[in-house]
Amino acid sequence: MNEVVEKTGLLAEPAGKGVVPRTDAVTAKKEPRILVCDGNEAAAWGVVLSRPDMVAVYPITPQSSLAEYVAQFVADGVLDAELVEAEGEHSVLSVLHGAALAGARTYTASCGQGLAFMFEPYFRTPNLRLPIVMSIVNRDGITPQCVWGGQQDAMTVREVGWVQLFCETVQEVLDTIVMAYRIAEDRSVMLPVNVNHDGNYLSNGIVRIELPDQAEVNDFLGTPDVNWHAALDPDRPMGVDPLTGGATGPGPALFVGYRRGHCEGMQNALRVIVEVHEEWARRFGRRYAPLVEEYRLDEADHALVTIGSMAGAAKDAVDAARDRGERVGLIRIKTLRPFPLDAMVAALDKVRAVGVVDRAVSYGWNSGPVHQETLAALQHCRHRIPCLSLIGGLAGADLTQTHFERAIAETAKLLDAPCPREPVWLNAEDR
Amino acid sequence: MSATPTIAFDPARCDGCGDCMRACASAKSTHGNTAQSRIRIVHDDEAGHWGVAQCRQCGDPRCASVCPAAALAKGDDGVVAWDAGRCVNCLICTAGCTFGGIAFSADEGHVVKCDQCAGAPQCVAACTRGALRYVTAAKLYNRWGELEDLFVPGLGGCQGCNTELIMRHTLRRVGPNTVLATPPGCIPGMGSVGYNGMLGCKVPVFHPLLTNTASMLTGIRRQHKRKGRNVTALALAGDGGAGDVGFQSLSGAAERGEQILFVCVDNEGYMNTGAQRSGSTTYGAWTATTPIGDSARGKAQDAKNLPLLMMWHGCEYVATASTAFMEDFYAKLEAALDASERGFAYLHLYSPCTSGWRFPSASNIEVARTAVETNFAVLWEYRREQGLTLSRDIDDPLPVTDYLKLLGKFRHLDPAQIAHIEQHVAEQAQVLRELAGMRSREGKRIVCHPSDSMAVDLDQ
Repeated sequence: MNEVVEKTGLLAEPAGKGVVPRTDAVTAKKEPRILVCDGNEAAAWGVVLSRPDMVAVYPITPQSSLAEYVAQFVADGVLDAELVEAEGEHSVLSVLHGAALAGARTYTASCGQGLAFMFEPYFRTPNLRLPIVMSIVNRDGITPQCVWGGQQDAMTVREVGWVQLFCETVQEVLDTIVMAYRIAEDRSVMLPVNVNHDGNYLSNGIVRIELPDQAEVNDFLGTPDVNWHAALDPDRPMGVDPLTGGATGPGPALFVGYRRGHCEGMQNALRVIVEVHEEWARRFGRRYAPLVEEYRLDEADHALVTIGSMAGAAKDAVDAARDRGERVGLIRIKTLRPFPLDAMVAALDKVRAVGVVDRAVSYGWNSGPVHQETLAALQHCRHRIPCLSLIGGLAGADLTQTHFERAIAETAKLLDAPCPREPVWLNAEDR
Repeated sequence: MSATPTIAFDPARCDGCGDCMRACASAKSTHGNTAQSRIRIVHDDEAGHWGVAQCRQCGDPRCASVCPAAALAKGDDGVVAWDAGRCVNCLICTAGCTFGGIAFSADEGHVVKCDQCAGAPQCVAACTRGALRYVTAAKLYNRWGELEDLFVPGLGGCQGCNTELIMRHTLRRVGPNTVLATPPGCIPGMGSVGYNGMLGCKVPVFHPLLTNTASMLTGIRRQHKRKGRNVTALALAGDGGAGDVGFQSLSGAAERGEQILFVCVDNEGYMNTGAQRSGSTTYGAWTATTPIGDSARGKAQDAKNLPLLMMWHGCEYVATASTAFMEDFYAKLEAALDASERGFAYLHLYSPCTSGWRFPSASNIEVARTAVETNFAVLWEYRREQGLTLSRDIDDPLPVTDYLKLLGKFRHLDPAQIAHIEQHVAEQAQVLRELAGMRSREGKRIVCHPSDSMAVDLDQ
């Protein structure tokens, strides 16, 4: 047992009840506990380690088993949290609004239609500056009816003001959920965080992971710092969220103040995300690119841009191409909101052409959302770089190494020929 | 009205024994003659009970205003005092007082009036039946009159709206250890959550979404409870935020038995946005979205019965109330508050809307009372242990048309529509009669409460 844990008296505290001051001491590394589990169970373990006061859940495919794991952990006493089995996603997030305003560290998970139904409280959450952490187990949108993976859900809500992180692996899901509380509760941020993991690929794919030590996580997270700014507490009465705005009086300036403060919080999050990932690497030994991962960009002519779990297969394809002598690399976006402009520009500046693979569509642009984000970042690059849109993995479709080899080949064409305006539909010929 | 002391009289407790008069005469008159008592018990043959003639220590005493010698004046202690040195025995004061509170005493040779025996009135002490009480003026009106008013003065409601009355008395009773949720509607429109930084109430208050009041309060209540604090989670919601778009979260929280006190202020429509139809709007009513025209004559459907729907959720407590029957409302608020410690408590308040229903702003309480007296709105109470009980007799209601004719929103009704409403009101009353006749889990038959149970009970 290390000194930090003894000093804080953690062992004497029942789980979830302790007030744990955060220290900068690096804790002694313990032998990690090994689990074999899927992404939903890993996410639930991330929740257990983060010790929220309140968890509200409603099942939806492919998130359902996550809700089940959390409920089981509460039932087993592994997680000492209030569990609210609400009657729908709309209420799930509404419960957390109340809880957070009363001081609770909170968690929920949703996706797809559930997220759509949650939208009314969802787009209020960041404006209230509530540090709620919510997993989105990414699912494609209906119609046509579809219960499988895709990122249309998260991409559709990316302008709402949540911090949005996208994970590549099951281990990263667990680690990122814990890190998300540090980011959300940072006083310079105070924003809700979505931790995205791809439905089916990550939610159901079983792998070996390491479970961090609870005491070390407690030390990393510290005491929940939730409602210092807005509270529903009879001991300090205040009216939370008064009517603001209008054409005259102090309303417009007040409203601008809220909006601008929110934008500043988002920009601050870029710094905090980096710091938190650095500390995580230092404490727990697992280092993730916090904003944008550059994979084999050294002397690359062109690169793929990916997001989420597809990066795994894409990296294999890049490795294979490198083995063949092709100078190709990969750029993975971990943080989509706030958009990591500087990191993205730095990566893009290293290549002469990019192909962006999306698991969602942007209807009015006839391409993918991440393609649009990349185009916007390219505006800030030193040179004009062609940028191809590739769309694949919709509705749970496989994105295999073969698909990515084609993506690399299509991107390589940009080096010698004009960039097509039409997207490449990677699964269009699948049988 | 300041909280100055006064002597209250309860006719239901007085048997005319005269002990009060004898005690007063003994304490105050020279010869102990009850004819000289400053309190008089008189029998009201028409009303069939005893009444009292005694100085009321009026807030703006007429006796003092007509006195040409300035011998009478209201003191800081609330007592209207008589100054022997100034009195010229003109007796104009005795004509000024309409309560018989000041009279000429032949024995004393001048006017005499009650001075409350310097804080220990002998008449009250002598009354063994409790008909006389020495209480503050505020307490005379209700026993919560001395509690803090938790809303600021001057909320921006429509003239004559009774919602402010509901808000003030509800919060006054529930007290400062409360988190209040007021979803979009007339109540935040009045300024409870505030405009541009100004706040309308003295408890923490939140403006939830129109759709999520009960679930948001779920989080509040559970988190405070988790931290070992007993905080009242209170909703003051309109009928739309409770029964229409807010119904899902209301239903979910009720089903889960969340410890919430949910008050629905039912003004039968979306009134603060311009009087549009809601699920609570009654049949035939004009609203902005159920207008009168060649092919439409107001709302085509009956209102949903939200309190009955809540009852079948198995709530801890459900009741209907009206601001025309405040003591009944207080009693139900008390019961609901108590029940919210154990589970979901739902209180449905019928709240006439002066502007949306089209009646003069001075008539709000009259409209509210007539709604109840015609059975258009029935007052009842449901407790898990006892089932449903009617709060007053509904067997001999006034004609429904007495109610309909008060309201501009019904002005266009044709005979067939009136017949529909009369039939619906009768059916609803019959359903409630039968539910009240179904018995408690102990098998006891529940009897209707007599309407006089709502009289002021100063014992409490």
